[in-house]
Amino acid sequence: MKTASRREFLITGASALALSGAIFQSVQGWLGQAGQYAGVGLQRLLDGPLTPPTAAQLDPVAHALNRWTFGPGPGDYARVAALGPDAFLEEQLAPEKIDDGLCERATARFTECWSEPLGEAYEEDAEYLPPVLRRTAILRAVYSQRQLFEVMCEFWSDHFNIDPGKGDCRYTKISDDQEVIRAHALGNFRDMLRASALSPAMLWYLDGRANVKRTPGEKPNENYARELMELHTLGVHGGYTQHDVMEVARCLTGWTILAKKNDGYSGNLLSPLKDRAKVVFRKEAHDNGAKQVLGQEIAAGLGEGDLERVIEIVAAHPSTAQFIATKLCVRFIADEPPPAAVDAVTRAFTESRGDIKTTLRTLFGTPEFHASTGAKFKRPFHFVVSALRATNAQTDADRGLLSYLEKMGQVPFRYPTPDGYPARAQHWHSTLLWRWKFAIALANNHIKGTHIERKEFTAALGGDAAVAATLLNRQPSAEERDALVKSGDDLALLLASPAFQHC
Amino acid sequence: MSASVNLSTNRDDRRTLVVIFLRGAADGLTLVAPVADDNYHKFRPRLAVEKEDAVPLDGTFGLHPNLRALEAAWKEGDLAIMHGAGGESDTRSHFEAQDLMEHGGPVAGGWLGRFLRTRGPSQSPLAAVAISPTLPESLSGAPSAAAVESLRDFGITPGRKGARKEDFARELARLYATEKDALRTAADNTFEALKRIEAIDTNATPANGAVYDPKFPFGQGLRQLAQLIRADVGLDAASIDLGGWDTHFTQLTTIEPLMLQLASGLASFRRDLGPRMATTTVVVMTEFGRRVAENSAFGTDHGRGGAMFVMGGGVKGGRVLGGWPGLKPEMLEGPGDLPVWNNYRNVLAPVLTQHGADAGSLAQIFPDFALQPVGLYS
Repeated sequence: MKTASRREFLITGASALALSGAIFQSVQGWLGQAGQYAGVGLQRLLDGPLTPPTAAQLDPVAHALNRWTFGPGPGDYARVAALGPDAFLEEQLAPEKIDDGLCERATARFTECWSEPLGEAYEEDAEYLPPVLRRTAILRAVYSQRQLFEVMCEFWSDHFNIDPGKGDCRYTKISDDQEVIRAHALGNFRDMLRASALSPAMLWYLDGRANVKRTPGEKPNENYARELMELHTLGVHGGYTQHDVMEVARCLTGWTILAKKNDGYSGNLLSPLKDRAKVVFRKEAHDNGAKQVLGQEIAAGLGEGDLERVIEIVAAHPSTAQFIATKLCVRFIADEPPPAAVDAVTRAFTESRGDIKTTLRTLFGTPEFHASTGAKFKRPFHFVVSALRATNAQTDADRGLLSYLEKMGQVPFRYPTPDGYPARAQHWHSTLLWRWKFAIALANNHIKGTHIERKEFTAALGGDAAVAATLLNRQPSAEERDALVKSGDDLALLLASPAFQHC
Repeated sequence: MSASVNLSTNRDDRRTLVVIFLRGAADGLTLVAPVADDNYHKFRPRLAVEKEDAVPLDGTFGLHPNLRALEAAWKEGDLAIMHGAGGESDTRSHFEAQDLMEHGGPVAGGWLGRFLRTRGPSQSPLAAVAISPTLPESLSGAPSAAAVESLRDFGITPGRKGARKEDFARELARLYATEKDALRTAADNTFEALKRIEAIDTNATPANGAVYDPKFPFGQGLRQLAQLIRADVGLDAASIDLGGWDTHFTQLTTIEPLMLQLASGLASFRRDLGPRMATTTVVVMTEFGRRVAENSAFGTDHGRGGAMFVMGGGVKGGRVLGGWPGLKPEMLEGPGDLPVWNNYRNVLAPVLTQHGADAGSLAQIFPDFALQPVGLYS
């Protein structure tokens, strides 16, 4: 079979998806021609300049790549150095304009799960969809050119965390990923919040579907109302009270999802398959009295309009801007972010009314951001993906790779509680053993379903010294250079090194 | 780093919880047979364990003879048994019942994972280990948990031709020596754990004359866990499965070798660990029990209540705990199943308390459940 070169793919652009169906039936099919494909991949590398960084310290280009992507691959430094970090940021902030043929091919076999109507997801085997969700997340992070978008998708997936292990979330989380996280990752926070409030998976995960007021004595379920303020908007010390939690819960009574079995919450709405998990408002289960949320009156009789009011009130609350700004600064600047940067980002979020691109532009323009080179400890997912990117690896993101993420405790979409995977380094320090073992395994092709062309890759870059500078994003120090030589396995040591754990 | 460094989160009290899941729904009425109950023999004319064959436990129960290896633990008061144990799922679906039980209810994340999380960031890279190809759902959400098939999976073994382990480790340590604070401590802890793992002679003869049958992989897994416990690598929780208990058809030919594996593995493990059993608890559980009446194919179908075992860790054993209502036809549930009167959480909760969980932690580990702990230690 004649395989189109990656360059041809990039040129054909729009037809890449069609081709992906026709030629690349699956990632496995693609990996089945690993040698042939890898040749194409390396040819692309040889096409462009591969010059690694020459500075002894992380320079602004290296810093941009470290923070706005899941780590640079070979050639990325040269490309962004020529483009300039500012232009690179603007490119990344317009992901829809970036051709993503490689990623589309890598995830082609799972595309159907993302495009089928929600009700049809219930036809899948109960154990089929969560791995699809996890593998796709890895493949996108590794292969997408829309790196900042993927980084933000990871950020919001933690912010609005849903573990597909709970109840029907195994069927509905993919739709949440599509309609909430990916639809709004670089859009407007308020829109994302609203989408999340009406996401079938969220209604399951935080029991919103069971939040009903059918009789005067019935107590609403407060689970979602609390997390909405504690985790999604104001933050735990954001100034809401137990009374606010109860009032928000009252506002949201009646929103539920159509179920197959009447468990008392979906009422008698026994749905045909295609409508399964469809979100509906049950007027008779809604508390239609007047409410007061965070000091604002919500008039009686608004019915489903209560939800709009709640979203508006919590999204516009000053604590929300501060809370989201702090989390973004923790992700992109430091575990203990400088207050000046948090203030600037808070203002940008407030003034733009939650525009995520504006907020990010401000963050990335702060002096504190520029001063924070190498200060962040990569979480395991980031570490693994950055290693795959740095070594131009091919992966099926299946068991062989997942088992390492499992050992490091960060399989995507497997975090049980609504607070999402911890952001700060202290939670992840005990994973060093598995990072080291992963480094050795990747460097020596001991991971099932994952493959690197070590020899060809080293030759393409121009030798061991260039490999070191490419992986470290800077020139190695004299001590690092000495250690690499003496270790007997320089690539594994680079990936296991403290420098590679940071970004 | 000194050998006195403690990699365990629970500091001076190094306790390990070992959870054994019998996948496929093990028949509690064969494992722990109510041999003195006439109804038992009426329901199971061809499959019942005969009183004269059983290992006598008390006036009502006897162990299947293939579990004879557990007799010593029972007699020495180190093995407690709960009958009518199980969860609230009544779908009789393996998947759903295992899923609910391993999650500890209709919640996300595993009960063992939540238990580990209540202890804060782990000190050891080996705080949670599953001897299995994949991580069980019970450990989902653990701060870190390793599914390994052999202790050899832990070591740092260079993969490159000509590379030497000591060179790689030395240069790695050299790079981390220039780090500061928490990362430096974490690296030191990891090197220490590695040293202790590498000091384990995986071929060493088990202690106290214990013998693990080489043809039983389950026992070999337990043997490795015993080595890990003795190496003090900070192992807080371990999981190992024994599958194949779904005996709809010619039950005895399937279940008899499995029981031998289970009993000989547990007995060897207990003997091997010796005094360390006082701080090591083994829990044996299954997703549900099986239909009381045997079926036409010399098998049994999916039921409700099963059996659960707790061994070691200071349990006051030698008792069948939590009661026994008898096998009267009118007290059976649904299609003729032993009901569940010992919810699995009520057995796990006191064990977790023994392993350092307080009331607040238990409420997080088993949310929305009013615990009525079984008196395992009183």
